[in-house]
Amino acid sequence: MGIEIKCFATLARFLPENGDDYPLAKGETVKSLVDALGIPEDEIALIFINSCRAYLESELADGDRVGLFPPVGGG
Amino acid sequence: MPDSLQSAIRAVAVKQALPTGGNGNCISLSDVAEIAARHHLSGHVVEAEALKMGIHPLRYLRNMNDISAASQVQLLESSVAQVGLGGLGGSLLEILLRTGIGKIRGADGDVFEESNLNRQALSSPDNIGISKAHAATERAQTINPSVDFAAQDTFLDDKSLPEFLHGCDIAIDALGGLNMRRSLQHAAANVGIPLVTGALAGWTGYVGVVMPGQTGPADIMGINNAAEEALGCPSAVVTCIASIMAAETIKTLTQASSLKGKMLIIDLKSLSFETVII
Repeated sequence: MGIEIKCFATLARFLPENGDDYPLAKGETVKSLVDALGIPEDEIALIFINSCRAYLESELADGDRVGLFPPVGGG
Repeated sequence: MPDSLQSAIRAVAVKQALPTGGNGNCISLSDVAEIAARHHLSGHVVEAEALKMGIHPLRYLRNMNDISAASQVQLLESSVAQVGLGGLGGSLLEILLRTGIGKIRGADGDVFEESNLNRQALSSPDNIGISKAHAATERAQTINPSVDFAAQDTFLDDKSLPEFLHGCDIAIDALGGLNMRRSLQHAAANVGIPLVTGALAGWTGYVGVVMPGQTGPADIMGINNAAEEALGCPSAVVTCIASIMAAETIKTLTQASSLKGKMLIIDLKSLSFETVII
């Protein structure tokens, strides 16, 4: 079992085809995942894992649901 | 309240079938307006007094059971400060007026332009170039003259925000763009009132409720407006976010919002809704 990745708004273009079940490398953190997906770190405002706010250094585990959210402020 | 107000309300009450079953005493729009004028009161004061007497204003009849009579009184006696009368703000204002919030302050220094027409409920081809505050004032008078609505035709800043929020029960962040959202969140915290906030870009948006001192979306989002500029603000998403913001405003005023200290992350393209603890 891998992880589920959600990329919102302008980050949607970085979502891999296997984002529903993305294989997890050993010792993977949000930062290594973001680097692997080619997402510039400054385009990410909010990271969440399993509905809790997380950070670039947060470690990932099998079955995690990871959300990556850019700065959004339109009205 | 003077006895004369209560007797005036009692004198015009009519029996009517209630949505909750059975019959109950009700009061019509025109009777509320007439009594309010005669007693030099705002309509919402007459409506709140009627509800306390067990007499339901017909215009709020379909708010029952979801908004109880006691909650409706709370709303009619509440003051809301809404910053922004554009996309989110126009739809929010419509809902808050119809819901029966007693006093609403609005502020927006902008005028309507054609690119607003896709989503901004207060805009129309006839009022391009007209102030949003002016259009909001006209709309408020048209939809619900019982509400005390006052709009400022200004862009609020760090200096003017505290006075704008002072005396209100809740602040609403209906701003467009990220530039002033942090200032508003801090001003609401300093005045000691909750803030309901929301924003979107394309199919994606969020809603949050920030109690004084809590971390809020404005602390997280920064001031880069690139997403909104690239993806735009489609009407279906604006209206959805505004509707959830209105619901959280009503809940915060009458009971408690379950979104305090959290963000509801919404994507209408994938139909995903997720509440995140921030």
